[in-house]
Amino acid sequence: MRGVVATAATPLVFLAEIPYLLSQRVENVFASQASLVQQTAELERRVLELSQVSQQFLALKMENERLRELLGSRARLPAEVLVAELVGIVPTPNTHQVIIDKGRDARVQVGQAVIDAEGLFGQVVEVDAFSSRVLLISDADHAVPVQVNRNGVRSIAGGTGELDRLQLEKVSVTADIREGDLLETSGLGGRFPRGYPVGFVETVLIEPTSSFAVVTVRPLAALDRSRHVLVVFSAPEEAGGGVFPEDESEETSDEAPGEAEASTAADLNSSIEAAAEMNEVEQ
Amino acid sequence: MNPAQGGWLILLTLALAMVLGIVHLPETWPQWLGWLRPAWVSLVIFYWVMELPHRIGLIAAWVIGLFVDVLQADPLGLNGALLAAITYVAWRFYERLRMYSVLQQGVVVFVLVLASELLRMLVQDMMFNRGVGWGPLLPALVSLLLWPFVAIALTRLRLQFHVA
Repeated sequence: MRGVVATAATPLVFLAEIPYLLSQRVENVFASQASLVQQTAELERRVLELSQVSQQFLALKMENERLRELLGSRARLPAEVLVAELVGIVPTPNTHQVIIDKGRDARVQVGQAVIDAEGLFGQVVEVDAFSSRVLLISDADHAVPVQVNRNGVRSIAGGTGELDRLQLEKVSVTADIREGDLLETSGLGGRFPRGYPVGFVETVLIEPTSSFAVVTVRPLAALDRSRHVLVVFSAPEEAGGGVFPEDESEETSDEAPGEAEASTAADLNSSIEAAAEMNEVEQ
Repeated sequence: MNPAQGGWLILLTLALAMVLGIVHLPETWPQWLGWLRPAWVSLVIFYWVMELPHRIGLIAAWVIGLFVDVLQADPLGLNGALLAAITYVAWRFYERLRMYSVLQQGVVVFVLVLASELLRMLVQDMMFNRGVGWGPLLPALVSLLLWPFVAIALTRLRLQFHVA
């Protein structure tokens, strides 16, 4: 039902985007030569930086695969991505959803992770014939399982309804999380592939009266600016190390009505505990 | 003369209202403008039901509401119910409303939009824990300020194209 109406309403979404595109066009026309030269220089510098990083990346990747072979774990499969363009936003200030121009015709499926050039962007929650809706990681209904890049401490980054702030949920005051730590997706819960950067820890506030620390996170992805995003195609078992079967995450998502697929924090907490137990058994 | 003509104009204005409801503002504009967005579809539907109560009924309003639900990512049926309620009030009192001055009509619009935004806020709070606040007051106020212009523009169009 919703899908049929959504497909019929797609032209309206494209119409609503016209003023924004026009404003961009006007900006481009009136951009001064100096600023363009500066922009080019900056981009060239960035390409140089990134190519240097990617050279190292190749070597590191080979080394990582060798080490993984030594450890007996499966090599991480490279994920396929699909470039999509933002064609619309949901105007209500407290609903963080965007519409992208790839839908069922491009084999997009509900639950796929969406990233931008900097980090994790959101997940697909609704697929129409030619477009789909992406729930941003900053939406108050969204939560993503993360781990600290430095030491592997696991947690859950929940959206706050503000574009520039996430919050870690139920962090013990003794957890080793410091300001400036990089958080990446942990792949637990089976929805997001593992290892995509989510954000940097901004503040860690420990209240003497509370048993949980208040940890705020600044997301890396340009949630309010990115026009081009990548839809990640990868089976969760391949990317996530196969800790959880896919159907478990489906079960958790069925409980949330409406915007659905964002797993709730409590479910993820329990699944993280289960994962910890499994790890212990393995060791 | 065909007794029912100009339906395309009604549909066109409603579609325009839906587009205005989700139009993407340039990012150089301040973000709080998003809170000031008036209830365009409610304004337009209120006008047409008041002037031509035989053309738009509850079912039509509800179907339009479905489109608004999808466009604004609200729970399916929420806007349908809200628009149907507005349609009912406008249909029940259309003779009286037409006699009102534009300003008095504006006050009715203010009350209707405020009530529907409050209901929307309560439903969203119950379903997604969004919290309650003073948010609904702003769209209602902006709708009140815009009502005279919307009413005059739509009257012009209605007379120009002989919508009956």
